This record gives sequence, structure tokens and C-alpha cells, in this order.
Amino acid sequence: MLAMNKKNIVYGAFIMLAVVAMLSACRDKRSTGLEYARNMYDPIAFNQDQPNKNFANGQTAQTPPPSTDPIGFVRFEFANTAEGLKAAEAAVVNPLPLTKENLLEGKHFYEVFCGVCHGAKGDGKGPITLLEKGINAPAFYGEGKESSRGGLMSELTVGRIYHTVFYGYNAMGSHASQLTPTERWKVILYVQQLQKQK
Amino acid sequence: MRNISLNFKKSWKSAFILAALTLFISLGLKAQDLVAGKTLYKDNCASCHNLETNSTGPALTPKMNEREESYLIPWIRNNAALIASGNKQAIESSKYSPTQMKAFPRLTDDEIKNIIAYAKVGEPKKIAAVGVAVVDEGASSLSIIGVIAIIILSIVVLVVLGRAVKMLERLILKKQGIEIVEEERVSLALGVSGLFKNKKFVFFSVLCLVVVLGSFGWMGMWETGVHTGYQPVQPIKFSHQLHAGINQVDCQYCHSGAFKSKNSTIPSANVCMNCHKNVQAIQEDGSISVEIQKIYNAIGYDPATQTYDKTKEKPIEWVRVHNLPDFAYFNHSQHVVVGETAIRKEKGLKPTDPVCVACHGPVNTMEEIRQFSPLTMKWCINCHREADISDKRNDAFYVNVIAAHDKIKKGEKITPALLGGLECGKCHY
Repeated sequence: MLAMNKKNIVYGAFIMLAVVAMLSACRDKRSTGLEYARNMYDPIAFNQDQPNKNFANGQTAQTPPPSTDPIGFVRFEFANTAEGLKAAEAAVVNPLPLTKENLLEGKHFYEVFCGVCHGAKGDGKGPITLLEKGINAPAFYGEGKESSRGGLMSELTVGRIYHTVFYGYNAMGSHASQLTPTERWKVILYVQQLQKQK
Repeated sequence: MRNISLNFKKSWKSAFILAALTLFISLGLKAQDLVAGKTLYKDNCASCHNLETNSTGPALTPKMNEREESYLIPWIRNNAALIASGNKQAIESSKYSPTQMKAFPRLTDDEIKNIIAYAKVGEPKKIAAVGVAVVDEGASSLSIIGVIAIIILSIVVLVVLGRAVKMLERLILKKQGIEIVEEERVSLALGVSGLFKNKKFVFFSVLCLVVVLGSFGWMGMWETGVHTGYQPVQPIKFSHQLHAGINQVDCQYCHSGAFKSKNSTIPSANVCMNCHKNVQAIQEDGSISVEIQKIYNAIGYDPATQTYDKTKEKPIEWVRVHNLPDFAYFNHSQHVVVGETAIRKEKGLKPTDPVCVACHGPVNTMEEIRQFSPLTMKWCINCHREADISDKRNDAFYVNVIAAHDKIKKGEKITPALLGGLECGKCHY
């Protein structure tokens, strides 16, 4: 029995070592692992997020040159001032009709981009607002709920809402980079429905 | 020791706040005032003011403690009138920012007093949960080291036990008066060389070697170019678990290209600033969180003056996790919008899950982002073989396809334009 012991120990150790070797073959999560023909993965053209020496600021994604517009793009020509807001309020109308499809899309965009602070129902109780970390989005309806620029939230005009989506105000940042003009108008169609709540 | 002093510090702080509260209560300010004040504060002030940090308006707690109530009440009710009346403090205050504070003619004196009472005290400081941020970095390598350690330890224990048993047996034999013939001690080197002469042992070792090398080779080939589990270190410790999980920010809020373009887009820093202009995760020593400061550095933002400096912009160089080979075309919007219902059905997603989960996995539980799916051709093809899109007749894409098929049946002319051939991305991607 004693003579067997030594052998068993050696055998056991060998098997365990083999198992450990197998285990250690598990991939290091910080590396992409073995790759064959990496150049087929890397784009020949530049990806938009890649550094790029061909441009002065070293980035591939460039903003359009000044004074140029993509085809069909409508500029929002009102300044980010109290006067600009007033002018927008007077001049801007929603170019989209109130249809079921537009409302449905508006609801989706609202829930993704606005609801996180203003609440899915427009009650100002979005998850971010409820955190109480310095962001307090107002409700779109309710008695005495005033906008910080005067007037009741439930009576905000489309021009004013668009101006706010475009430039942001107070704690709210500009959402122009996330929503195209058409998408903004769809959101506003939906916000107008929320304003009608009691 | 440090822990004790830390705990003491914390409890001392909360004790101080408690004392301050009771002092206020004893001064005649009922607790009710604070509650009412908080509601009024949230409805009227919180859009522009924070209690302890400057925002659109200045931090309120220091201001409220600094100024007299006799000044604050008329200022809150109608600051423009107070400035016009030539009040020196009011004129000085109006220089904080060009944005003028709104008037609140509807608030009564009592309501304003409630707001002041609340803003003076502020929120009771929550004692930070200790040890929440457990970093799981290097867990896998640690566990491997642990396994090796356990094996070595068990070998040592076995050897020692073997020796002990031998010794005991010898002792027993000695007691029984039986002489033991000392075994000839075989030197270790000789023992090992003897092992190699053992045919069974050699066969067994070769077998082990073949199995190990074979497994290595198989795994290596199988996983070549497959990046499942890839989790590179990112320049900012951005937690999807916190943002998408706990804070419930929709995936598309930041990745807003996912529903309208090929690329899901990495958010530019201005999207971070939509929240982080105000959310600064102030540390115990009063400084802004290091990770949030990195966003400010990237976009040239100075939190003290709340201004941007375009010349200081320095892009955040995120490390790309999901990378399809350049020869494979994948479009996010096709899958997120047109394919959404089919993908949901195929992958059995809950209605509350975003459709992104189907391929990107439970991102809302990932402290650090990692690649969940293999993104191999087989993986794509399997889903494209199985997913049911027959109920997609209402979607424009399929409507177009069906229309095109009908035209072909009738022998009419169809053009690439009918099938979306005018989309820029069909060629220029």
C-alpha cells in the first residue's frame, strides 16, 4: 500500500497539472485572442470614430463646412436668447400633421430621449429626476406648474418646445445632435398630447 | 484604525446634521416646514438651482445661510424689482449670470420661508455605502492562481501525510519487536529516470500530452478571430450597469444612431454633458468625480465658470469592442427598427428588454462592457435561417419587397430604386 502511494501521488499530480494547463488556456479578457489575417478586420476606408491625420483636428467624423446644408435640411434660424425664443414662439409651426404614425413614433422618441428625466407620462418623474442628483425636469401638465421662463408648462407653444429641444435650457442640454428636425417635431406632437393631461 | 476614524467622521457628520435639524426645530421651524419647503423647492427652484453646487443659478444652501430673510423674500418674489430699487446686494447678485431669475409673485411669505428653511438645511447626507464598488478585475487569473495553489498544497499535504503514516507504521512494527529491513533509499533523480523506463508511465504521459496539446490546438483554432468576452480597458470607467441598469437610461439615448443608421454610434461628449453638466458625483472631499472630470477635459468644460473652451477639446479614445470584419456588412437600423419584432420573437426577449439585448447580452448588468455574442458568420446565419418575418407585411421594407415581387410576376419593369437602391449606404459604407 505504501509503495503504491508514491506512484499515485505522481500520477495525481500529473493529471492535475494537465487540468490546470487546460484551465489556463482560457482567454485573457483584455485581448482579442488569436487572430488570423487581422488586416481583413481593419477597414481600408476610415471608420467614423477613428483618428485621422488628414484633418486638422485629427478626427474622421467632421462637421459640415460652415454655411452648407444637407439636402432637405431646414435650419433653425433663431438665436439662443430670450428674444430668439420669443421670435421662435411667434413664427414656428409644426410642419407635420397629427397622424397616428407620427404620434406613435413621437411616443417612442419621447420615451427614449425625454422620458428618462421628464417621466414616461410627462409627470416630471423620470428615473434620472427621481435620483435627485441635480436634475429636476418639470412636468408638462398640472395646475400652477410654471416654466422657468414664465407661463404654464401645459401652455408651452410648439416654437418654445422646439427652441428648448434645440438649444436646451437650464439643466437640460441640447438634444439637436440626437434627434433630426423631423424626429423633434414628432416628439413635440406627442408632448402636446401629454400637455392635455389633467 | 483608519476605518474607525472614518466611521467616526461619518457618524459625527450625521450627528452634526441631526443636531442642526433639532436646533432648527427648537427655533420654531416645524419639520412640516422642511417637507413643504422641499416640495416648493422642487417645483419652483430645482430647475435652475442646486443646493450645493452652482448650476444655472448659484448654489442655494450657502446663499440662503449668507443672506438675511428680509432680503431673500423680496428677492425671490421679484428680483427685477429689487434690483431696480437699487439694493446693493441685489445688484451684486444679478451679476452671477446674464440669465435673469424668474419672478415668483404667487408665492406667499410663508411659502418662501419654507423654501428658505429647506434650502438652508439641505438634504441629510447619506452615509456612503462602504465597499459597494468591488472591482472584479483579474478575477479569472486570480481563480487560476488559486486552483494551482490548492493543487500544490494538496500535493504537499499528501506527501507529508504519507511520510507520517510510514513513520507511524514503522513505530508500531518496532513496538511489536519486528525488525525492519531499511529500504534502500532511492535517490530522486534515479526514481525519475526509473519512471521513464516504465512503459505504462511513458504511454500515459504521451497520452496526456496529446490530449492537452490537442485541446489547446482545437480551442485555438476554434476561437481564432472570435472575440467573445473581449473586455478591453476603456479610457473612462463608464459603467453600463449604472447608466442602463440602475438609472434606466435607454440604450438609444446615447447610441442614438442605432435606429437610423448602419452604425449605432458612440455618443459624443455633448450627450454625456446632457446629464453630467449637473450630475457631478461630488466626492467626500468636495471634488468632482475623476471619471466625470475626464468628460470635462475631453470637451474643454470648466465646471467652475460653466463655460466651454473649444481649443481644449481632446476626444475620448474609446477602445472598440465589437468589430465586424471589413468584408461583412451589418446595419443596426435594419435590425433595431425593421427586424425588431422578429428578433424579439426569435430570441424570446421580455417586452421590457431593449431589442439590443438579443445580440449585446445583458449590458445593463455589465460594469465594464464586453462582447457577448461571437459575431461569427455561423451565428448570423443561424438567426437568419430561423427568425420568422412573415408577419412583417406592415413594414415599408417588406411592403416594397412584396410589391417588387408582384411586379415581376406581372412582367412589369422594376428598378433598384424600388428596393432601396438609392440609399447612400448601399454603396458608400
